[in-house]
Amino acid sequence: MRRTSPTHLSNDGATPRRASWRGRLLGVAACVAVASLGSSCNLDPVHRAGVNGLGPEEADLYPVESEYHRPGEPCALCHSTKGPADSVFVLGGTVFWGPDDYNARVDNAYVRILDANKTKRCFVTNCNGNFYVRKEDFAKITFPLLVSVERTVKPLQDENTLVIRRMSGHIGREASCATCHIQGLRDFASPGQIRMFNSEDEFKAKNVPLVACPPPPEFVQVEKCPEDRN
Amino acid sequence: MFALSGRSALLLGLSVLGGMGALVTGSTSCASAPDNKRFTEILQPDYPTYRAFVDPYLQRRCGTLDCHGQPGRAYRIYGFAGFRLYNIDAGLVSGQQPTTEEEVLANYQAAVALEPEEMSRLIATQGTDPNKLMLLRKPLKIERHKGGPAMAEDDAGYKCVVAWLRVRTVRPTNDGVDFETIPQAEREQLPLRARQDCEEAQNFP
Ligand code: HEC
Ligand code: HEC
Ligand code: HEM
Repeated sequence: MRRTSPTHLSNDGATPRRASWRGRLLGVAACVAVASLGSSCNLDPVHRAGVNGLGPEEADLYPVESEYHRPGEPCALCHSTKGPADSVFVLGGTVFWGPDDYNARVDNAYVRILDANKTKRCFVTNCNGNFYVRKEDFAKITFPLLVSVERTVKPLQDENTLVIRRMSGHIGREASCATCHIQGLRDFASPGQIRMFNSEDEFKAKNVPLVACPPPPEFVQVEKCPEDRN
Repeated sequence: MFALSGRSALLLGLSVLGGMGALVTGSTSCASAPDNKRFTEILQPDYPTYRAFVDPYLQRRCGTLDCHGQPGRAYRIYGFAGFRLYNIDAGLVSGQQPTTEEEVLANYQAAVALEPEEMSRLIATQGTDPNKLMLLRKPLKIERHKGGPAMAEDDAGYKCVVAWLRVRTVRPTNDGVDFETIPQAEREQLPLRARQDCEEAQNFP
């Protein structure tokens, strides 16, 4: 099984994630509590271990159980028919500015998918860098997929490319970007978090403002990629 | 280099069987005593052809981290855009350094060692009935495959793999009772048409 735990230390000094073993224990406890009520904790032990390994929601970091929650985590592990979330995602992930900083995430990035049927779809990240695709929104998605991520200079106002990156390989069958792009881990089996720049310095030199999340009133969430606006 | 001489073929055969032998002797106490004099020589497909034409396709088509780029797969594939071969000096990271020679060799060995006897039969008969090989049965979905259909018989990729398996690497010895490895310099090259198939397959999709 792939490692889904985000707490591994990277072999090249990327920042470790914040979840502690204490947090994990709480997560397990919470799960057991829920399970004893007979709901979301699935009986598949592998699935359950994967979910529990992610730990509990962290209310001080994001609005819990919302589209902003759990950035960098494998969304579709929970948003699957096995639960614990009710909604099922066929794709979901988080885009970061640099290779190491967990707290610098890309708002209004365009995530483009080309599936095996040559269907092209584009999705936009929110203020926390998250994007997700519900099953009903891309029912015919067919693997393998090709993926690219673009951020324009000022989405809606200046749609010139600031940076674009493509995955050279495919996604064979996995719905969560983070199952391969393990947060805080770059090694023989993980390319690390999805990044727009190769170093944090390169990102800082661009002076792109970071957005708070949930966003301030003046923040404009882009709903559609340029090609989908008429 | 690999697969050049009968001796190296023999060595791979020995090491694969050695591994199996170790398992058997480790787990069963009532088996007959190991017979050191007998071994099965594994007849191997052509490595240079594999390396130049076939590996890039199989890496791309089958080797992603969520498919065969995993330690849990018997047919395990290493490479730049997926799983990296552990090497403490090189410190290979997924998506960073180019694919190494050791990785290509490991991919080749995985393909051969999946079913060594079946592979030998195929090579001895110059690629007759290639679909008996699990390496093809799975992606063709002749056999149940969790990765779904990853090849079809009219794919460039399928044709590329089959053409590779048809490259003659052994010939009957003069007395006709055994096989000997054809020296690399005397081997035929992959036909042009097959090369084109391999190139097309590498550009998937
Ligand atoms: C540990 C499990 C888990 C992970 C990982 C997870 N979620 Fe959730 N999510 C939940 C639960 C439980 C809810 C509560 C609502 C429900 O049951 O759907 C929820 C709710 C949501 C909602 C609001 C409900 C809806 O369907 O509109 C969204 C949107 C959402 N998550 C998006 C994401 C995204 C994007 C990611 C990945 C970055 C993610 N989630 C990762 C468990 C998870
Ligand atoms: C099956 C594992 C896997 C999944 C799932 C996956 N990726 Fe990747 N991704 C990789 C690997 C390995 C690399 C590095 C090699 C390459 O470029 O193919 C990579 C590279 C990338 C890059 C290029 C980074 C660079 O160096 O330029 C981007 C962008 C990217 N992925 C985005 C995504 C997005 C968005 C998703 C989710 C929709 C996703 N990936 C899901 C394995 C995966
Ligand atoms: C042409 C490319 C492919 C070839 C040649 C191939 C070949 C094989 C072979 C020989 C096996 C049995 C040995 C083993 O378990 O490792 C196998 C199993 C498996 N393959 Fe593939 N495969 C290919 C593509 C894929 C893809 C793209 C996926 C993922 C989407 C995948 C997922 C799996 C899984 C999960 C198994 C284990 C379960 C099973 O045997 O069905 N494969 N494959």
